[in-house]
Amino acid sequence: MITEEDLAKTRISMRYDFSPIRNIIGDLSGLTGHFCEELIGSFYAKNISRKANIVVTELLNNAIKNNVDGDSNIVVEVEINEERLLIRVKNVVHKEQFEKVKAYVDMINSSKDKKKLLADTIRRRRKVRLKGGLGLIRLVAENKFRISVDYGSPFLIVESQFLLGGLR
Amino acid sequence: MRVLAYGDIMDGGISVFNSVARIDGAKLIFSFNGVIRIDNPYRQLEGFLRELEEILSKEKIDEVEFDFNELNFCNSNGFYVIMDITELIINKIQGPIVVKRLKDDDWQQETLPILLNTDEPEINERTTFIDISEI
Repeated sequence: MITEEDLAKTRISMRYDFSPIRNIIGDLSGLTGHFCEELIGSFYAKNISRKANIVVTELLNNAIKNNVDGDSNIVVEVEINEERLLIRVKNVVHKEQFEKVKAYVDMINSSKDKKKLLADTIRRRRKVRLKGGLGLIRLVAENKFRISVDYGSPFLIVESQFLLGGLR
Repeated sequence: MRVLAYGDIMDGGISVFNSVARIDGAKLIFSFNGVIRIDNPYRQLEGFLRELEEILSKEKIDEVEFDFNELNFCNSNGFYVIMDITELIINKIQGPIVVKRLKDDDWQQETLPILLNTDEPEINERTTFIDISEI
């Protein structure tokens, strides 16, 4: 008999490569995030599969919104095993965009009180009726992911990792 | 129990927000349902907020229950939707606030208190969270 504990040792990897970006007209981030939640949720606990939905939705949405080349592609990679949940999103950006994202991620990672940073950011942006700008900080402060960014010209690579120890 | 308002806001043919405001005696029960996936949180909401404020003005309500139990997902732009609605209700009704939320949902546990402004002592004092486990 297969137990819940056995199921939570299942290794899953998914890779989506969408191109050209200009053809993305529906709610692709929602669709992909929801599918990841359903698939991972068939093996792992709901609180873990929900994390996958949030991260895929927020990162893929950022990549679509900030795309600079309609002919290019977006890659989403999701890996889960008993140790970790890893989500990586790659999309084409200008070098200056990467620098901006890196500075923002460095600021989030160096913050001593990430929850306060999330609260302050939400209130500040709401006051001036700005939309967006919460995705990355949310992943860290709310969903407890570690995030990092890299640039493999011309791709911005955002990687989010959550260690599953104790949560299975 | 009476239904006061039903909010189903569409964007591009997709339902982006669904809520029900019901009244039970002097208690307002406001439920958020389904998923909130919204791109522009300010565009669709104004009319709904105006209507909700008008409806609430006509009722005698002295307690509030926010029910997030059936809200399965909220994207980060959706946070502003929740803030606008809950702020209107919290300011309008000066009474105890009960918040039903999912126990195993990161955003409801970590971010929802921020959206409800519970670090304001006045709001914190009258707010009680009830954590619900999913079966």
